Amino acid sequence: MLFRSFTTGRLGTIVAFNVQNYIKVFTDPEILPMINNSILYAAGSAALGTGVGAMLAWIVARTNTPGRVLVELMPLYPILMPPIMKNIAWILLLAPKSGILNGFLRENFGIQQLVFNAFTLPAMVWVFGLACVPLGYLFLLPVFLSFDPSLEESAYISGSKPMRTMLRITFPLAFPAFLSAFVLNFLRGLRSFETPVLQGSPGGINVFVAKVYDSMSVEYNPGIATAYSTVLIILSVLALLFYVRATRFSERYATITGKGYRVKVIDIGKWKYATFLAVFAYFLVGIAIPFVVLIVVSLIPYYDYETFMMFPANIDLSNYHRVLNHPSFVSGLYNSLFLSVTIALVTVLAGIIMAFTIYRTKVYGSKVFEFIGTMPLAFPPLVLSLGLVIAVIGTPLYNTLWALGLGLFVAYFPYALRNASGAIVNIHKELDEAAWVHGARWRHVFFQVTLPLLKPTVTGALFYIFIEAIRNIDVAVLLVAPGNEYGPVTLFEYFRVGQWAEAAAGGVIYLIILILAVSIAKFVFKIKFSL
Amino acid sequence: MAILKVEGLVKTYKDLKALDNVSFEFNKGILSLLGPSGCGKTTLLRCIAGLEVPDDGSIYIDDKVQTSIRETILVPPYSRAIGFVFQSYALWPHMTVYKNVAFGLKLTKVPDGEIRKKVIATLDLVGLHGLDQRYPSQLSGGQQQRVALARSIAMEPRLILLDEPLSNLDAKLREEMRVELKKLIKKVGISAVYVTHDQEEAFVISDTVIVMDGGRILQYATPDEIYNRPADQFVASFIGRSVLVDGKMVKVDNENCLVAVPEFNNAVLVCHRPQSGGAGDPCKLVIRTSEIKLNSKRFESQENVLEGSMSGRDYRGGLTDHRIQVGSREIVVTSHKLCPMINVDNDGGKIFLHIDPSAISVIIDKPQAVPQHAGG
Repeated sequence: MLFRSFTTGRLGTIVAFNVQNYIKVFTDPEILPMINNSILYAAGSAALGTGVGAMLAWIVARTNTPGRVLVELMPLYPILMPPIMKNIAWILLLAPKSGILNGFLRENFGIQQLVFNAFTLPAMVWVFGLACVPLGYLFLLPVFLSFDPSLEESAYISGSKPMRTMLRITFPLAFPAFLSAFVLNFLRGLRSFETPVLQGSPGGINVFVAKVYDSMSVEYNPGIATAYSTVLIILSVLALLFYVRATRFSERYATITGKGYRVKVIDIGKWKYATFLAVFAYFLVGIAIPFVVLIVVSLIPYYDYETFMMFPANIDLSNYHRVLNHPSFVSGLYNSLFLSVTIALVTVLAGIIMAFTIYRTKVYGSKVFEFIGTMPLAFPPLVLSLGLVIAVIGTPLYNTLWALGLGLFVAYFPYALRNASGAIVNIHKELDEAAWVHGARWRHVFFQVTLPLLKPTVTGALFYIFIEAIRNIDVAVLLVAPGNEYGPVTLFEYFRVGQWAEAAAGGVIYLIILILAVSIAKFVFKIKFSL
Repeated sequence: MAILKVEGLVKTYKDLKALDNVSFEFNKGILSLLGPSGCGKTTLLRCIAGLEVPDDGSIYIDDKVQTSIRETILVPPYSRAIGFVFQSYALWPHMTVYKNVAFGLKLTKVPDGEIRKKVIATLDLVGLHGLDQRYPSQLSGGQQQRVALARSIAMEPRLILLDEPLSNLDAKLREEMRVELKKLIKKVGISAVYVTHDQEEAFVISDTVIVMDGGRILQYATPDEIYNRPADQFVASFIGRSVLVDGKMVKVDNENCLVAVPEFNNAVLVCHRPQSGGAGDPCKLVIRTSEIKLNSKRFESQENVLEGSMSGRDYRGGLTDHRIQVGSREIVVTSHKLCPMINVDNDGGKIFLHIDPSAISVIIDKPQAVPQHAGG
């Protein structure tokens, strides 16, 4: 904890002493287009993702569309499909010259124009927007599911037809949840790393995250990087504040009660084929196509359009051979496994102890710790690791696995804390007090009452943080060093130097690990995943 | 020797005075803390248990100091050796009934064999024989209630605190359980402080009752005394079904006084004389409607008889509510099926009410604040 404030403190001082960097940043003629790009990219993806998510939520909750199960499994998609995999797959599909889709149009219809271009703003919005769908879905599904039916019924009684009721009653009441999901997706857009760096920068669409990364990886200029970060932080904090306002606003629409209503499913007649098509289309672009593309590309000797189309005649495992014999991938794979298991255990334990201290003891100043503990949420992960890099330069930690571990800890601790806090708050306080008056000391209360009751949430959080950490790029990317590789970062580097097939093979190895972890969590520990 | 002594307890939440200088002493038996929600009764109970720290005051259990703000003494809850039954029961869902009850005993140095004997004996006592390996979620509300009680008495405390323990049960079970709870506490022979907002429950279960409102003790007496001689208007209106009317004392003698009631067409009622007040003083009358006699013909005596008209009747099964207009007030009198007090069939018919002086409490209005002209 102390180290965290130290980190941000150091970040602050460096920022303050580098006025010339600010001047450089703010006089950069690109600054306005950059703000413009960042906002367009984040807002565009959020609008696309939340809109589609809301629509799917409504289809699943309220209509008799066939094949809804494809959508019900959706919360698993982003877990199985790390962002970088999605970017790789879509770049393979949409790349201007070598892309599969352009190649297909060229070979089969003779269209020489490059119809698709992965390195444009619309393509960025498309790829990241798809990643925003599950959150929109998850925010709106409970609204549609736990909607008090009498609100709609009273509209029917007043003479309003179903469609009109939908538009005038149901959707307006769902609006606050929509707004929350939109703002949260917007925030994720501002913080996202893979899409801006892999798609934005090559196409000259600069956004802040990419700029921060470039100034570290290309120019190695921490001063400039922090100055760009400051602008990014300001944007995120503004969005975060707006998010807090939006959720408070949504509490006023207290229509969703704890009562178990049976939601009325509406028979939408012929329209159900249209909605089924929408569901199926999402399934294809959201998971099936990227998945297939990745696997195919990993199994062909090298990537270009002709080789791709020859599949499966040219199937071979040479990519896997190369990847698994490449020292920086192997050590990265080992490091990522080791660190994500360790980080999951450490953050979850620390989160529980901290949440217990905050909510169940009267330790002075514990609320302040909660604030400090959740503060990293306001910083994009890349900025967080930038701060850490600056803090550890010149210390023995620099370029060690410890620094990498520390970065991951700082990045995931807020989730562990929020998870534990939420669970502890939900445990009726009288359960603790009952132990207390019946002779238990704090250690008895903690180990015999609180911890056993937290078990389901704790295992969930363990898996969640493991899954997030093992595919992390944006925290690790600035903290890796020769000898301290991190698997996902190595993949990212493969892709940047054009070894697309190797990147796909490495990605598939990670997919297998993720699928294993998710299956163990789901079937052995019965954990329900939701983002 | 007092089992519980509370002195000058003060507790303020922001602007709300939850406890406003509360002091009392309690020797043995069952004491109820009765009052509407927000009156401070639960805060008081939690202060006694050590779960809340008061702003000022002290608490003694068995003559040993537990809380004393001035002396900065605060014995933690786990060292107070009391029992506590929570409103939500607070049974640990991950432990069996046996483990729940044995929890406190295991934290002491009692050998396992003895714990086993004690737990089984306690479970038998509360009527849960053979259910020791169940989990709380497999029990009915009434059974959970008994486990919570067993858990508290297994430690054999001298004092047990109960925070609205029956409020989560349905009405019928609540009536059964309150009698059983009383029997059990008496059988074990420990003292209990019982928090409730239900006047009837407090009367049934306890030897003495403290009526609270706004963080203060309004009356501390036996149920009988509280019912028949409420200390003030609030107690009177909180206890039982009653009608509250303004009156003016017209004559006072040794035993009785005469009170004119404008709302009853200026009828004059004979009442027992209050402790203070003289002719001409304004007062309030609390009339317990359950003690009003009704008749369709005139009563033989003329004293304390009011004339009214029947405005309607509500049939409630064994009981019937009669709505009667007297002067400008409507009074609801309930009659029992077995002793119908009246037989007026036609609505709007004339009816006579007899109110015995013992059914009326006279409350002298508090002095009109401080005289305004004091300085002049």
